[in-house]
Amino acid sequence: MTKNLPLTRRNLLKGVVAASALPMILNAPYAQAQAAKRGGTLTIVSWPAPTYLNSGITTSGPETLLGGKMFDGLVDYDIGYVPAPALAESWDISEDGLTITFHLRAGVKWHDGEPFTSEDVAFTIMEILKVHHGRGRSTFANVTEVRTPDELTATLVLSAPAPALMKALNASESPMMPAHIYAGADIMENPANTAPIGTGAYRLAEYNRGESIVMEANPDYWDEGKPHIDKLVVRYVADGSTRAAMLETGEADLIASSLIPPIEILRLGAMPEFEVTQRGYEVSSSMHLMDFNLRHEILGNKLVRQAFAHFIDRDWITQNIWFGFGQTATGPMPPAQGDLYTAEGVPAYPYDLERAEALLDEAGYPRGDNGIRFSLFIDPLPYGEEPLRASEYIKQQAAEVGIELAIRTADMGGFVKRIYGDQDFDISTFTGSAGIDPTIGVHRFYWSKNIRPGVSFSNGSGYSNPEVDALLEQATVEIDPEKRAELYHTFQRLVMEDVPTLPLTATERVTIARIAVKDHTPRAIGPFGTLADVWLDR
Amino acid sequence: MMARTSTLGRFLRHPMGLAGLAILLVAVAMAATANIFFPDGPWKMAGRPILWPGQNPDFPLGTDMMGRDLLAGLLYGARVSLLVGLAAAVASIVAGTVIGAIAGYYPGWIDDALMRFTDAVQTIPSFLAAVVIVGVIGPSVTTVVLSIAVTSWPMIARLVRAEFLRLRKYDFVHACRIMGMSDARIMLTQILPNCLSPIIVASSVLVATAIIVESGLSFLGLGDPNVISWGAIIGAGRSALRVAWYITMLPSVAIVLTVLSLNLIGDALNDVLNPRLRQR
Amino acid sequence: MADAAVPRPAADRLRPALRFLGRRLLQALIVMLLVVLLNFSVLQLAPGDMISVLSGSSDMTAEQMVSLRAQYGLDQPWLARLGIYLFNLAQFDLGYSFRNAAPVATVIAERFPTTLILVVASVIVSLTVGTLMGVVAARRAGSLADLVLLAVALVFYATPSFVIAIVLILTFGVTLGWLPIGGLVTVGAGLTGWAWLADLVAHLILPVIALCTFYVAIYARLARASMLEVSSLDYVRTARAKGVPEWRVVYVHALRNALLPLVTMAGLQVSSLIGGAILVETVFGLPGMGRTAYDAIFERDTNLLLGVMFVSALCVVLVSLVVDLLYVLLDPRVSLE
Repeated sequence: MTKNLPLTRRNLLKGVVAASALPMILNAPYAQAQAAKRGGTLTIVSWPAPTYLNSGITTSGPETLLGGKMFDGLVDYDIGYVPAPALAESWDISEDGLTITFHLRAGVKWHDGEPFTSEDVAFTIMEILKVHHGRGRSTFANVTEVRTPDELTATLVLSAPAPALMKALNASESPMMPAHIYAGADIMENPANTAPIGTGAYRLAEYNRGESIVMEANPDYWDEGKPHIDKLVVRYVADGSTRAAMLETGEADLIASSLIPPIEILRLGAMPEFEVTQRGYEVSSSMHLMDFNLRHEILGNKLVRQAFAHFIDRDWITQNIWFGFGQTATGPMPPAQGDLYTAEGVPAYPYDLERAEALLDEAGYPRGDNGIRFSLFIDPLPYGEEPLRASEYIKQQAAEVGIELAIRTADMGGFVKRIYGDQDFDISTFTGSAGIDPTIGVHRFYWSKNIRPGVSFSNGSGYSNPEVDALLEQATVEIDPEKRAELYHTFQRLVMEDVPTLPLTATERVTIARIAVKDHTPRAIGPFGTLADVWLDR
Repeated sequence: MMARTSTLGRFLRHPMGLAGLAILLVAVAMAATANIFFPDGPWKMAGRPILWPGQNPDFPLGTDMMGRDLLAGLLYGARVSLLVGLAAAVASIVAGTVIGAIAGYYPGWIDDALMRFTDAVQTIPSFLAAVVIVGVIGPSVTTVVLSIAVTSWPMIARLVRAEFLRLRKYDFVHACRIMGMSDARIMLTQILPNCLSPIIVASSVLVATAIIVESGLSFLGLGDPNVISWGAIIGAGRSALRVAWYITMLPSVAIVLTVLSLNLIGDALNDVLNPRLRQR
Repeated sequence: MADAAVPRPAADRLRPALRFLGRRLLQALIVMLLVVLLNFSVLQLAPGDMISVLSGSSDMTAEQMVSLRAQYGLDQPWLARLGIYLFNLAQFDLGYSFRNAAPVATVIAERFPTTLILVVASVIVSLTVGTLMGVVAARRAGSLADLVLLAVALVFYATPSFVIAIVLILTFGVTLGWLPIGGLVTVGAGLTGWAWLADLVAHLILPVIALCTFYVAIYARLARASMLEVSSLDYVRTARAKGVPEWRVVYVHALRNALLPLVTMAGLQVSSLIGGAILVETVFGLPGMGRTAYDAIFERDTNLLLGVMFVSALCVVLVSLVVDLLYVLLDPRVSLE
């Protein structure tokens, strides 16, 4: 966002939002030299409410937001995603990558007073994360055993190297859970799932299911002097505009993950009382994508799909649907994936209605007497307003070139069943997390072995290209960074030639908070992290 | 013929009724002329997003967040709101009349069974039921109409049943029965015409309620995504309320005026068709 | 009126009252069974199940989905599930809400008070304000005051509750900053006693107004019409002729009888308020039954949705029983047969 100033929006909101104020929200001042003040209550509003109060047994968003507050990970991540000590003070990785030894912090206590030991690490990884956590199953797939030579040493023994493992050990992704509470009973049924006992900076004080959670500072927290605040409150409010109003009136202090309408982020962000930052989301960059059902006779034709790419102005979508909170997608991977990402030599499909019409004629679908070439359905993801607005725009653009699109809305259950269960759709749009590495968030949409009926957000288009499969499979095991980047660059060029999926926008999420809220994002993971450093300047 | 003319005459001398009729006619005119003024439809992103009313003469009521002409949205929205209101009212009147007539004409177990069924439907909170039906089947104009009709027929059924219970004891009905007229024919040609006035009065309230329910569903995102309704404009414009309140307020005013006009008409019809209440 | 003047022995009135109550209870039971059957059948039409929804928000393998479906009994045919549901219901067991990781009864017990407070406050406020408006209008029928009150009632009637809610939030919450806009209490403030009550009332004001306006209009119109009708009746004229003070004539003699149609309306209002609460609870971020039902639909939390609809229907049935009894109290002419 720092680079891509939302210029259209800036003009647009002139008079409403003072244009000169915008740069402030883009370069939110960060390095705080001030000493933290003590005390106070920090209130976060969010939605939806969680089922459980720990993120070790599910990968759902609401649980992930809470995960790090009452639990800790073995490590945390500094800016740039560099591992930093947390429950583990240090670690050694063997040359062959087959053993990882964690040296645990001494004197750490669970909220119930029991000591934290290597037993807890072994139990959490082998019995909880490997079994019940959606991503943990693959993260720890190669871990065959966790040895515990003494109370403060835990050694992971792997059957094959797993470079992704060291990127997934933070509190919200892999929280360490108490063996003495969970051992010997059904993990999913354990009452501690809604009355958590962790080692984290905050302890549960009050839980009003579906309404709010009150946490209080853990006086025995291992990171001495933290947390600075007395209470951390998370409230659940269904309506985005109400959440924005609560932030404005002071009923709330912080909203994470862009959970208010983008136009409100712009408006509030321009006010001196608020601060907007996109930091803290580098692990969770997302892509808004459009899947063509390749099983469909018309959409199986590459020329038709390329025509779609030409008549949809993706810049317009980025600017007017996401209000500039994102970058126009150039291919299947977001720019956030660094060296692996490229736009060079990738077919770009500039906005061009005439070219689109020509391609459709060439494909053998001329306009009929009524000016219509053919009719299709488009199914937007039922999550937030933006996918629906984007499909309204796409529908209107399609009409310009003689394609009649009808929008079908369903709820999440209906959407998942239609697109991934019955595969009874023409075009779908959805947002997929691209992950810290393409193996996690990108492969799944393009790899032919991931055409798996019934599995949500798998390869829904039914794209199967042996060349692409080979590239992805090589990239999974390639250790040399340059060779790996080359493989992905070729992948991006190939996929954009075929366009089984048209990437629309690499969306960016932000945190918006009152300026009195300091240090909510001192490291790589923002409000989804531990929030142990946060303090209130009041 | 005489009676009808005088009824119409009385309505035309009813100032509130006339005012209601005038407002409703404006809404109907909006719906009827939508495609004359805006042949490209209401979805065309014709101008700069968030143009205030009066800012650009091409868009007298301004544009929404996606640059769509709000005047076009209001005109096409009138179509959907009126269509949904009317269709839902007709559907619930038909269903309610059939069930109410049968229950009222056949006292005993048929009446009992139908009335318990009516009770059951009326017991489920109606907006909740509408949300469940649309949520479960998926939003479209048809399901929205269906969901409103399914929850609003019991009121008509009760009304018709009461009239049938009363009228079936009248001599002229007995006479028809003795003459060998079939039940269906008696119900349709003899009794029904005599209980039309309460149905007509209730229908204006039904249309008004249906318009409000449709707007509530659309506000929750349960409207048909392929048509623009007033409620849908409110729902979509709500996030921009602070920046552009006119997007939310224009369709709100349209809803309020239309519902108000239907009420005025309903009151006037009541006065005209039930003069005995007036005299008392 | 003659009937009411003759006092009947208590036992004579009690027996039909009991028989009436028994019949109404039996009817209520049949209605509740029908409600459950209707709800259950409609929910069968929903595409996808809880597991598809879950898989949309968290990573899940195909094998895991199969085993979860088996664990929750979602792989059973729907008649079998209906049988199990009815069997459990007969033992007052509403089942388990997997989305909330708690029994349905617990979740409802947590959400019910919010909606109860909202509905009760709305009924009281709208009944009081509406009746007062109606009575004042009726006493000055045809005057400017009457016209203004009627116009206000019409606009209240025609404005959707969510529009009122939005305007209230903007005016009193954001612009003026007088009242809180989200939730029922200030979470984490640890208030007790009067401070807690004051906090609760402050949070309630805006949602109750939003929920009320429509009914204020209805009661005002009903009360006005009813008062006009009753005022012309003989006994009111007699009271006036006897020199009973005017306020007594209006508020004791006339109003008592004019209240009857309003009581019927209040019974119907409860049902419609529970539905209308969805919108108001959504806009004000209140954790009540309406919003819970709404979310349960989209999360395919069938047990919870069935439970909420069952309890709402039960409330409506109970309220209509109470209304019938109130009728008897207010108007001795009403026959129990």
